[in-house]
Amino acid sequence: MFEHEDEMLTRVVEHLKRPVGVDPALDGRVMAQIAAEPVRRPGTTAAAWHWLVTPRRFSLPPLAGLTAAAALAAFLVMRGPAAPASQTTAFQFVLVAPQASSVSLVGDFNDWDPSMSPMTATRQAGLWSAVLPLEPGRYRYAFLVDGVHWQSDPTAPRAGDDEFGVPSSVVTVGGT
Amino acid sequence: MSARTLGLAVLLLGTAAGATAAQDPRLGRFDAQTRAAVMALLDSARAVGLPTEPLLDRALEGAAKSASRDQIVAATRRLAGHLARARAALGTKASLAELEAGAAALRAGADSAVLAALRRSRPRQSLTVPLAVLADLVTSGVPADTAAATVLALAPITSDDALIEFRRDVDRDIALGAPPAGAAMVRGGSIYDALNAEGPRVNPPPGPRKP
Repeated sequence: MFEHEDEMLTRVVEHLKRPVGVDPALDGRVMAQIAAEPVRRPGTTAAAWHWLVTPRRFSLPPLAGLTAAAALAAFLVMRGPAAPASQTTAFQFVLVAPQASSVSLVGDFNDWDPSMSPMTATRQAGLWSAVLPLEPGRYRYAFLVDGVHWQSDPTAPRAGDDEFGVPSSVVTVGGT
Repeated sequence: MSARTLGLAVLLLGTAAGATAAQDPRLGRFDAQTRAAVMALLDSARAVGLPTEPLLDRALEGAAKSASRDQIVAATRRLAGHLARARAALGTKASLAELEAGAAALRAGADSAVLAALRRSRPRQSLTVPLAVLADLVTSGVPADTAAATVLALAPITSDDALIEFRRDVDRDIALGAPPAGAAMVRGGSIYDALNAEGPRVNPPPGPRKP
């Protein structure tokens, strides 16, 4: 029984050792088949990424490099420091005018337009109030009573230069 | 770009700027003659790089107070002159608020040299409040040189809020009968001494100080 198995194995091995005959035209048919396949281009994203990460070498004249550096430096200098964010302070204006029927706050902060900032009569009789958000700066202003009479703020510094014959006051709003 | 193209571009930009100024609805608050005069002043200021908003505000103040055309033009022209001097003293990088406050200080009687000295004393901080305080002190009756010395001493070492508080204290003292110069020197000296206790300072304010 073992001799039969040995003979079978021998015959299998002998068969496997025999050289395989390959059709000489096989290579040509394979290459022709490959050539006939449509060209597959890499995806746009993949191609772009590949382009970006591939190191490249290029030459730049020293003068061009210096010019580019100077232009960048000039841009940074001219742009200046980043402008600070605008900050406003809520400022309350108050006037005691018990006889008034209307009071307007008028000044640099509202283009001297009497209709922009009408003051509100508070619960306390004769007290008029208005709150405005003001950026840091110095502002001239006055109160217009009953649409006719101009009055400076008795609690604030005078503007000093009453060039129009009517007094004005000033308020200074700080930024710190 | 050829010179002719560049010139055409500049001309178009200038025309647009002029048209924009003419279309400012606020100018409609003036009568025709006053409006023309104000626009001419604004154009002149703009041509030399001065800010026009403060000038328009001054003219609008005149209009609101029913001032005459001559009064409006004179006040606006005067402010333009002060703005130019303020810019010369504070530098071309001065902010609009600094220029306005500087013009007010000059109008009140401060010297241009004081503005320049303030710029040097506070090179990185805004000068709006110190200049405004200077203008207010002089307007309140504090002699210009005393006000200048006090503000120059305090500006580098105090905050804007502290300067505003200092001015209010001086105003209060003056309202209570104190001489303006004395009020400024005493209040300024108190602040200086309190801050000086933390370390040596330069340029103390003028006048009597607490022992």
